[in-house]
Amino acid sequence: MQGFALYPFDPPGDSSALRTDLRRWLADHQPRGDIVRRANCWASFDADFSRALGAAGYIGMTLPARYGGGDRHPLERYVAIEELLAAGAPVGAHWIADRQTGPLILRYGTEEQRQRYLPGIARGETYACIGLSEPGAGSDLAAVRTSARETAEGWRVNGQKIWTTGAHLSHIMLALIRTEEGSERNAGLSQLLIDLDTPGITIRPIIDMAGNHDFNEVFFDDVLVPHGALVGERGQGWKQVTAELGLERSGPERYLSSHALLVALIDAAGPDPAPALATLIGELTAEMWTLRQLSMSTAAKLAAGEDPMVEASVVKELGNGFEQDMPRRVQAVADCGWDDTDDLARLLRALLIASPSFSLRGGTREVIRGIIARGLGLR
Amino acid sequence: MSAAREMLCDTARAVFAEAAEAGMAPVEAAGFDLLLVPEADGGFGGDWGDANAVLRIAGVAVPDLPVAERILSGLGDAPKTLHAAATVGLMAGAMGQALALSIEHVNTRQQFGRPLGKFQAVQQSLAVLACEVAAVDAAAAAMAARLDAAGLDAEAADFEIAAAKLRANRAVGIVTAVAHQVHGAIGFTREYDLHRVTIPLMRWRGLHGNDAYWAERLGRQVAGFGGRGLWETLTARAE
Repeated sequence: MQGFALYPFDPPGDSSALRTDLRRWLADHQPRGDIVRRANCWASFDADFSRALGAAGYIGMTLPARYGGGDRHPLERYVAIEELLAAGAPVGAHWIADRQTGPLILRYGTEEQRQRYLPGIARGETYACIGLSEPGAGSDLAAVRTSARETAEGWRVNGQKIWTTGAHLSHIMLALIRTEEGSERNAGLSQLLIDLDTPGITIRPIIDMAGNHDFNEVFFDDVLVPHGALVGERGQGWKQVTAELGLERSGPERYLSSHALLVALIDAAGPDPAPALATLIGELTAEMWTLRQLSMSTAAKLAAGEDPMVEASVVKELGNGFEQDMPRRVQAVADCGWDDTDDLARLLRALLIASPSFSLRGGTREVIRGIIARGLGLR
Repeated sequence: MSAAREMLCDTARAVFAEAAEAGMAPVEAAGFDLLLVPEADGGFGGDWGDANAVLRIAGVAVPDLPVAERILSGLGDAPKTLHAAATVGLMAGAMGQALALSIEHVNTRQQFGRPLGKFQAVQQSLAVLACEVAAVDAAAAAMAARLDAAGLDAEAADFEIAAAKLRANRAVGIVTAVAHQVHGAIGFTREYDLHRVTIPLMRWRGLHGNDAYWAERLGRQVAGFGGRGLWETLTARAE
């Protein structure tokens, strides 16, 4: 049985100084804007903010300096990400590139790919999306059918991705594609890094139930991409994607996405809250504090070069549950009308509507629990 | 875990195995009241991390003996909050045992021609149980780190103790329910060991502050921090 291994979170250097510097920077640079954008802020797209954040050295922090990165320790990046999310900063534009595409290119990419893409990512100017799901491959990711055939000129890509967050705003897609004809399931898959302005790519919006355009369908119609688009080893795409998901599932975004609501609840409750409100604030705080410990421990295990597959899934499972429960529990206690215009009511309504997606994106609750069960030795 | 703590745990396991038959006498003879007493005062000089490790073992081996009280007696008149903190250690141990027993049972017991653990419904339930156990482990460890940073000053660790005891309390309902459900009737018998951890868990949830007590106390403290102040306080306390 593989349980949850606790690792001490011990970033090098002075993390309280890092926090203080970033808080000061945010006080000067964070757009005032709409309070609702502070919730779920890793979906809030703001190119100017991303560029400024990159210039200040808070994007690509762990990348080597020769690629424009900050040469910082992964746990220093973790501290910075916590601060950005807790403040509700609009980090959506560069989020995926900074969190997973950059590190993946560094780990598996060629020297040419690194030089071509990493500096732009670190500047907060190159945005990425992840091409995994397809119409026939949702939770069953190994069913992907989008194909690439190697020709003299390069790879010929045909097929379709769906639920691709931010494809319409991104410059590149890291796609999981079947490169070996006739291969089945998780064999014969590779990762290709595709420039989204390549002819033959069509991106169509899918509007979500909140009225937002985050998702897209992406069609590949005989798209020619260069040989150099292959990332890592041909046929090892499944393994590379699985490792990447560890980066995706355990970060502070799994419990801080809705932090703006907790802040608004505490402020609305005032210094002497009614017992029911005090109780709710206490319960939510205990849960959030515990999730932070789990997430920090998982980050420390990742930073130690180990694969926290089970730990990352535990963080996602508990974090999703916390973030879905929070708006429901706040609604049950706080005196908020559906159409009220104060901060708490508007955040509450937005998160009630957004929250069903929390246990779908990045792996459904059922898939995540299955991974944990495998770790327990049940599958 | 450090070599010294490993040795301490080996001793605890041996002493508690004896105490399970003989009662408190072996625990008293082994000097667990000196665990948290500084070496300069003739004690073992252990920290809360050590106490937590010992209490986890006690929570499984001797849940009905007053081991936590014995350890805290070395500190003189320990405040209620430290008793709550000690209870979290017992609870973390017992929950880990409930998970271990459940995994063993579903991998062994066969129905419909295969082990229960091969059924998705059972797998999903046990994943939920495992998450609660991980959460309480992490909460207990973070609380211990704060207590040790504060030299066992319970007032300086009031936030962490409140959060950890509350989180552990809330886990009890899920852990006991899932563990019993996947065990079926055998888990409800006197003969089988599951009740040796689940009944104590039910008792500990209400001991030294139930959910409502700690939730309102923590909530009032946080209300005093203010919305943004919560994050600032929480990060500052851990650094």
